[in-house]
Amino acid sequence: MMGFARFFGRLVAIAAIATLGLGSTARAASDPSDIMSNWYKLILELVRHTPTYSPPVAARSFGYIGVTAYEATASGNPALASLAGQVNGLTQVPQREAGSVYDEGAVMEAALTASVQYFFSNTGPTGQRAKAAMAKQLGGQAAEGVDPATLDRSRAYGQALAAHIIAWSETDGGAKIGNMGFPYSYDAPKGPEKWVPTSLIVQQQMPLLPDWGKVRPFAMPDGAACDLPPPPEYSEDPASDFYKEAKEVYDTTKSLTDEQKLIARFWSDDPMLTWTPPGHWIYLALQLLDEDNAPAARRAEVLARLGMATADAFIGCWHTKYEYDLLRPVTYIRRVIDPKWETLLITPPFPEYPSGHSTQSGAAAEVMNAMFGKDRAFEDAAHEDEGMEARSFANFDAAAEEAALSRLYGGIHFRSAIERGLEQGRCIAGHVAKLRMGQ
Amino acid sequence: MTLRYALPLALLALAQPVLTQPALAQDPAVPAYADETASSGLTHSFTGEWTFMVGGGAAAFDCNGDLKPELYLSGGTSKGQLFRNDSPVGGALKFSPVDSGLELDQVGGAYPLDVDSDGNTDLVLLRVGPDKVMRGLGECRFEEATDWGFDGLDLWSTAFAATWEKGADWPTLAIGTYIDRTQEAFPWGTCTPNHLYRPKGKGWDAPLPLKPGFCALSILFTDWNLSGTPSLRMSNDREYYKKGQEQMWKINPGEPPALYTDKDGWARLRIWGMGIASADVTMDGYPDYFLTSMADNKLQVLAEVPEGGNPKPKFADVAFAKGAIAQRPYTGGDIRPSTAWHTEFQDVNNDGRFDIFVVKGNVWEMPDFAEKDPNNLLLQREDGTFMEAGDKAGVASFRQGRGGAVADFNLDGLMDIAVVNRNEPSELWRNTGGDAGHWLALMPVQPAPNQHAVGGWIEVKRADGAVIRRELTVGGGHAGGQLGWWHFGLGAATETEVRVLWPDGTEGPWQKVAADGFYRLARDAEPEAWQPK
Repeated sequence: MMGFARFFGRLVAIAAIATLGLGSTARAASDPSDIMSNWYKLILELVRHTPTYSPPVAARSFGYIGVTAYEATASGNPALASLAGQVNGLTQVPQREAGSVYDEGAVMEAALTASVQYFFSNTGPTGQRAKAAMAKQLGGQAAEGVDPATLDRSRAYGQALAAHIIAWSETDGGAKIGNMGFPYSYDAPKGPEKWVPTSLIVQQQMPLLPDWGKVRPFAMPDGAACDLPPPPEYSEDPASDFYKEAKEVYDTTKSLTDEQKLIARFWSDDPMLTWTPPGHWIYLALQLLDEDNAPAARRAEVLARLGMATADAFIGCWHTKYEYDLLRPVTYIRRVIDPKWETLLITPPFPEYPSGHSTQSGAAAEVMNAMFGKDRAFEDAAHEDEGMEARSFANFDAAAEEAALSRLYGGIHFRSAIERGLEQGRCIAGHVAKLRMGQ
Repeated sequence: MTLRYALPLALLALAQPVLTQPALAQDPAVPAYADETASSGLTHSFTGEWTFMVGGGAAAFDCNGDLKPELYLSGGTSKGQLFRNDSPVGGALKFSPVDSGLELDQVGGAYPLDVDSDGNTDLVLLRVGPDKVMRGLGECRFEEATDWGFDGLDLWSTAFAATWEKGADWPTLAIGTYIDRTQEAFPWGTCTPNHLYRPKGKGWDAPLPLKPGFCALSILFTDWNLSGTPSLRMSNDREYYKKGQEQMWKINPGEPPALYTDKDGWARLRIWGMGIASADVTMDGYPDYFLTSMADNKLQVLAEVPEGGNPKPKFADVAFAKGAIAQRPYTGGDIRPSTAWHTEFQDVNNDGRFDIFVVKGNVWEMPDFAEKDPNNLLLQREDGTFMEAGDKAGVASFRQGRGGAVADFNLDGLMDIAVVNRNEPSELWRNTGGDAGHWLALMPVQPAPNQHAVGGWIEVKRADGAVIRRELTVGGGHAGGQLGWWHFGLGAATETEVRVLWPDGTEGPWQKVAADGFYRLARDAEPEAWQPK
């Protein structure tokens, strides 16, 4: 188990070791694994502190940065297949000069530095300073002991690779985020079953990212590739399935145990206050990769697959959300069951069906199963810094199911959205699983 | 701003109808403000980079006995500067920089109060580095009060509040702090403790840490539940805390401070808290709070007041319902979300209703937030909703605002406005009237200690019989505060009644006063009219 403090403590320790020029307990200064590990730890914090980083946007960046790390590794490792030609729209990446020597740490450092600089170009002043400090630290670390010609060649290659992937990312339809993801106008569908705003925040009178389902995915053909059947038919009849699902949410939230409240909060992973749900799974992957002392090739593959799977999960989920545009439990329950009902969690500002947490958790767990095994037990200390104790899980599916169900405890999703969301996520991850990489 | 985040013109066009506010029959009178920055002599800039991305407070107070508020403006990496108010009564605003002993650098905020009750206003300077308490010597001269036992610590101080606890002859100070500035590469989660300075003789005991600190950018002692004992409200910047939220401390005399928790009814709220204004906007007797933030701001009222009082510390946000969100620019074409800092409730058109002034400005080239971010002047309508009038009134500056002060600088009964901008010149506007109503300026005075009756209340009857109530506080805003006249608009009333609820709970008598005048309200005495010279 690696708690938050220890998680970030390792970063500081590595930085200190590099500064002092002592390498007795750390990997070599230019180990691309360390470069990845350190950049990703800062990325998780930047996700929290960059205003446009709602979960779909965060997942998208995890996808592109993961692919960047993977291609930086694969381009120097004949055992790894490039994703060019496999994922949607990625053309052949820049090639290394035949016969020339490259330093893998310097390639990775240059590629990730450029990538993080781009994808978090809009972070706040403190994030900018932190990026600069990390780039300086890791840049110095990567240069140690590398001859200047090799260093220049390696950095130039890493930067060219990052530029290629950045250019590719700009054509997916998700690169420009205005007004924190909320449209300035929106032609809302009408009907008793349709989503209506649930917030008193002005921006959130419009739903978040209504066109996100049209963003180009990484591995699945398009946002509709894993579409779902419709939710239960809207009805206010107490005998209807719809009413029963709402009543389940109402009754459950009226008698929540302390454990259920904790579960709801543990998995909430609110944007702007945490590293978001996809960041939570990235955190878990980093934790397990560290525990396994994973080499760079495996580390890059896990991060790339997980990033692409969660990114595609949000695209698929958002496609379905806006296809059905279902109202939230708080709207229905106050209308039909109890006008004074309060939710434990704040209802997110977009349609209900399916649950984004569920879809992306289903996808993430499927990737983790493939990469770490279906029976890998682990402790999740993602929110130790928020005062929440680590939770133990027998396997990734158990964690995904708890994450999904947490949304019912929170009073923000019906059961159909949760169960079908998990199914949708697994379907989406299946497309990522087909990619030929190194596994 | 990067091109990647530029807003398409089509979106701008779409947004315009959303921004337009239709004129209503009951719309309040819009005051007319004249920009007198250049002619006034107020030449100043608050400068700095990372450690001065916040701060920039202004302090308004009299230090030469003419009862006209001077201005001390914090300077960041530049030196703070005191400007003597030389404005003729009712005339153009005039300020002169004077050597005062307050010319310190690394100052982000300043709050006036008379610590030792000697009749000379003192000034607390919030700094990046050791804070200073500057003793007023009269005639606008100051020196560091090294004999008061004040330990200024060595932190990044950003917020201040003061009160006189029951029975104390020396004020209790609270200082809010921000990030551990030594952690510049990874500052998140490094909020340093805030501190409470309780009296010890004629000075202060060692500062008492208020843990956990969550990067407070504004704090205020306020008697939110009318218990007679103010609590310490803290608005915290969620950008930097872990486990954090807004906070409120019980500060009971003789007891250790204790946080309100969910067991008390405290409802968790996490915002980019930057400023606090307080007034009884809803006229239910309890103070209400305007909390500035990024994007949406909050207007908080008590969620429920049981019959007989004793409410729980749970607040409802009514900003959306009352049109007081001020979440993005209303003029200038930049419609990205706003960034709000200093705020005050004042009646700028003298109609007997509190209005809200908000200073706006991008933190530091944050591309997702408005670069051209005009200040807000939200005028309260008769029905309690608010109407934006910053552009019509002439105070919609697009500079990178931080601190400010809304005060009657030329003693004509109209509230003028000073704003401190980051890395750009400060600004000054004179309220030249418009269709303004009648007014009062009141100054409660009681025997030392606490002559200015901090912690008390002033009540003023409006023509319709409603009572305007104002809690007398030191703190809040963003990094700056005021000490001096308390301003009330009266609308059409040419005379009214006022009274003071003194800090010890004594209710003063209702006393008649004529409108459009200045009155010193001494305890156990008739109101004393004062004529500005």
